[in-house]
Amino acid sequence: MNALLHSAVAIMTPLLLAAMGGLFTELSGMLNIALEGLMLMGAFSSIVFTYLSGSMIWGVLLGIVATMLLATLLAVVTLNLKSNVFITGLATNLLASGLTIVLSFRLFGNKGVVVFDRIGSLPRWDIPLVSDIPVLGAMISGHSPFVYLSWVLLALSSWVLYKTPFGLRLRAAGLHEKTLVSLGLSPSAYRFIAFLVSAFACAIAGAVLTLNLGAFVPNITSGKGWIALVVIFLGQKKPLGLLGASLVFGFADAFSNYAQGAWNVPADFILAIPYLFTLLAMVIVSIHADWKERIKR
Amino acid sequence: MNDRMDRRWKRFLGVPRSALGSLVILFIALAAVFLLSFLLSKTPARTLRYFFIGPLQNTYYLGNMLNTSIPLIFGALGVSLAMRAGSFNLGGEGQLYGGAFIATVSAVAMAGWGIAGVICAIVLGAVTGGVMAAFSGYLRMKWQTNELITTFLLSNAVSLVVGYLIAGPFMDPTTNLIATRKIPESFRFSRILEPSNLSSALVMALVMTVVVHLYLYRTKSGYELRMYGLNPRFARYGGINSGSYLVLPMFLSGALYGLGGAMAIFGTYYACMKDFSVGMGWNALAVALIARFRPVAIIPAALFFAYIESGARNAMLHSDVTFEIASIVQSVVFFLVTSSVLQRIGTKRGRG
Amino acid sequence: MSDTAVTMHDIVKTYRETGRCANDHVDLTVGRGEILCLTGENGAGKTTLMKVLYGMEKPESGTIAVMGKRVKIDSPLDANRLGIGMVHQHFMLVDEYTVAQNVILGREPMHNRFTIDADAAKRLVDEVIHAHGFSIDPSARVGSLTVGQKQQVEIVKMLYRDVDILILDEPTAVLTEQETASLFETLRTLRDTGKSLILITHKLHEIKAISDRVAIMRQGRMVGQFETASVDERELAGLMMGKSFSPAIEKTPYGRKQETVLRFAQVSVVRRNQGRPMLKDVSFVARTGEILGFAGVGGNGLGELESVLAGTLPISGGTITHRGKDISKSDAHRLRECGLAYVPSDRLKVGSALEASVSENLIIAARKRFSRHGMMRGKHIMQHARTLIDTYSVQGTADMPIGTLSGGNIQKVILAREIAQYRDYIVFSEPTWGLDIASSKFVHTQMIALRDAGASVLLLSSNLDEILSLSDRVLIFSRGSIVAELEGERLHTVTKEEMGAYMLGMHVREAAHE
Repeated sequence: MNALLHSAVAIMTPLLLAAMGGLFTELSGMLNIALEGLMLMGAFSSIVFTYLSGSMIWGVLLGIVATMLLATLLAVVTLNLKSNVFITGLATNLLASGLTIVLSFRLFGNKGVVVFDRIGSLPRWDIPLVSDIPVLGAMISGHSPFVYLSWVLLALSSWVLYKTPFGLRLRAAGLHEKTLVSLGLSPSAYRFIAFLVSAFACAIAGAVLTLNLGAFVPNITSGKGWIALVVIFLGQKKPLGLLGASLVFGFADAFSNYAQGAWNVPADFILAIPYLFTLLAMVIVSIHADWKERIKR
Repeated sequence: MNDRMDRRWKRFLGVPRSALGSLVILFIALAAVFLLSFLLSKTPARTLRYFFIGPLQNTYYLGNMLNTSIPLIFGALGVSLAMRAGSFNLGGEGQLYGGAFIATVSAVAMAGWGIAGVICAIVLGAVTGGVMAAFSGYLRMKWQTNELITTFLLSNAVSLVVGYLIAGPFMDPTTNLIATRKIPESFRFSRILEPSNLSSALVMALVMTVVVHLYLYRTKSGYELRMYGLNPRFARYGGINSGSYLVLPMFLSGALYGLGGAMAIFGTYYACMKDFSVGMGWNALAVALIARFRPVAIIPAALFFAYIESGARNAMLHSDVTFEIASIVQSVVFFLVTSSVLQRIGTKRGRG
Repeated sequence: MSDTAVTMHDIVKTYRETGRCANDHVDLTVGRGEILCLTGENGAGKTTLMKVLYGMEKPESGTIAVMGKRVKIDSPLDANRLGIGMVHQHFMLVDEYTVAQNVILGREPMHNRFTIDADAAKRLVDEVIHAHGFSIDPSARVGSLTVGQKQQVEIVKMLYRDVDILILDEPTAVLTEQETASLFETLRTLRDTGKSLILITHKLHEIKAISDRVAIMRQGRMVGQFETASVDERELAGLMMGKSFSPAIEKTPYGRKQETVLRFAQVSVVRRNQGRPMLKDVSFVARTGEILGFAGVGGNGLGELESVLAGTLPISGGTITHRGKDISKSDAHRLRECGLAYVPSDRLKVGSALEASVSENLIIAARKRFSRHGMMRGKHIMQHARTLIDTYSVQGTADMPIGTLSGGNIQKVILAREIAQYRDYIVFSEPTWGLDIASSKFVHTQMIALRDAGASVLLLSSNLDEILSLSDRVLIFSRGSIVAELEGERLHTVTKEEMGAYMLGMHVREAAHE
């Protein structure tokens, strides 16, 4: 049980980070389906830069820069060339998936799994005192620094969104765009920044995946960006909600991994569970919303 | 969220596309091929030659290119039908794969049925895709569940389950491939451009394009579907029974994807291999977008996409680049195809 | 310092999309500490002129001076900086935010470099609210406020920005009479503290009630600016409409026997969480060979009546019968089969599919007639479309997307469609809203012709002149109920002031008919 909770927290971290980034774009009024591609870009570029620079910190920072460049392309095409955000999001995903493979082929002559054994593994941080608490200690102690970073970032984004003028205006862009326009503020400017923020968070989310593994696997994100999008909806677009929703997904994933080993359930079946689970959750949420709507009438 | 999107889509459907805008996009896409070749290849001239000339150099490559376009045509017709009704079917991957799988296993099971078996198997494949998409349509009709996400999720889940079934209970023990048993030889479509893979399914694709076109523009149901897609309030005002146009177009859309899957099996693969169709659903979506959901425009758009893929495959075989440059070029098209700024190039400045 | 707050000179603004000249060399001056009413019919260019002043529209030419100084206003931010504020007709508020958050948006008081000082925000907003005698709670969510309170938030938002010149676009359109009275009280107080106020309105009695001066626009031009005391309502109406408008339309008495087509009995519409019913015990009959007018101020039930007639709003009580057949529970689909013909008030969002062609728009309700065995009969459709386009002299072709036509032509297409397929009754809602005089006249002629041919015409309109000049019988709505029914001699003698009094619910229903 303890191991299960521990791995649930580990698994939820990339989801939480990507969802957090997506929260900014979602609140600014853009359906950002490019989370998947941005994450993939972050995953690839941060491990490659780590390998090239020999430092994980530099690797992640440069990975963030590369991912933000991709997001800039997405934002310019969407906001300045006025393209459909859904299609440009798909394009970003397609581009990231193609580009990472093409680059990996060019740099390492390999289109498959690229193992970087030189870079070493991520440190594990044991948190004094907390690690002694039963259950909770096992759950939240002994993770990689990224896990704790994601919590700090969650608190930070909550503060930015709800306590700063930037957050107030960003959310207004999503809730009632014309209000901003009538005050002489540009919704596009806030959306542009939101795209960059989501690239920042997705880059770290991607880095978690590859640096944990010490290898790049083509399309390593395997739908996590989409699940992050669902986490945003299930989390009611609130930072704490994201934490709860991603924990549920992390747990479901951890449980299915466990089930796979324990009961010999086929892997594909297990992999399908998060999708079916998300589908069910979506339906329940919409029934609930529909019911609330009816009460109002 | 749906409202916001609907408005954008409608703008996309309504604005007449200028020829110049399309040329600009085409030009940028080709420029991307050049750029990629010079950046990634040690022999860019060779790469470019195989990329552009390769697919057309002999009947083998030409036939394979045409063959690649078949599932794209079916899928794009499916996307367009749903989109014309104002719904978004994002589950093409799973609908195509699921349809192909069911068509294959039923063909194997009905080996002795002759022509009836062929028809039954194909219809079952189409119905499989149709039911998957219609389920999402039903959820939207009933509780306004966003069909964009539910089609995607269901498709992913089904793809994984089908993958399990192919690798597990339905695996052909006589080969080393992860694939089902092959369909009976008498069921297979004839090849029409030996030695390439091109099969008579191409004729089916062309016929289906005409059928979908006629349905949309010549039948009462197609008219109602389009009016509902353009303005649901107008349709309701005119007395069109609105609920059914959330489910029916989705069913037809999924069925076309399923049909595309079945065609790929009966014409090309003969057995349902694990993950054989990865990417086909997305590419079909891109084709539909380039064609702006007009059935007749889908054929050239599908050929364009097939050309890029075949070009990339050729360049990979004969030069030093990898196949995935195709997806980079395709993404360039994706990025630009809905830009309302680019669409206006060369048109009179007017309402947008 | 001069006495004028704003001088706009020679403003020209043409909308690129339609090529329509909304402001044609317009001049306007606003004095300090005065209330100016800017008036004119729909589409006269009032709102455009004010958007130019507020920096939301860029004029092609013309100059603006504020407090005697020549200025350039490129955005609402510039306008705010110059002390100009605007309260839009459609509220620019975020419903999910509190009053205080809405007010400070874009000008947040800071706690430190990064954080909003939420307490200061509440305090500052509360100060503004109290200083001007408003009655809203800074921490209330805007979505939970009434329309009148939302308007107060808009005004507070502008006062928080220290504006001296406040533009209000049709502020009373959505208000109840009490709310209007208290708004006017507020506006007078603001004037007395030296602020200049510009009200866009086309309600004559309001102009008389509130303004010091009045500026009248017609078809993009400034007709004149007057001291309000020096003109009476009749003169104002004449200036607004121009000479060419003749309210008296020739009508001959209907000769044949009248039959009842539609009967409403005690029809009510109640929405949960809303104290007052939207329609309450509405009873009337509509007969052949008459135009039955429905008059009322916005928000008093005409909108709901339209939805009920269209079959998109289910009724909570009462019965509706069509030639004796109960249609109380019929939706739009069933009503169309019963012969509903209906010209909706929202032509663009309800009455047409803008991206579809004119011919496709023309057959929406009659599509069965144009199909055989499920196939559309293309030739018949085109022929039908061409005939209607000719008959109604629509400027456009059958295969153009209807959205590329002008507003008047779109309305002609809708009219043609509904008239072509009406059987015994036809509903018109705001049929001339936003149309120019020629198009309006055309619509009116069609309605009279329908009536003479024996149709039962139901006319829902907020335009009193239209109601009075066309109707054979008028029902007046106030707060969801019919408060008066006028016909015959009474209809000829009633004045607009009396009508206004009915519509504001100041008289009870006097002539119960049936």
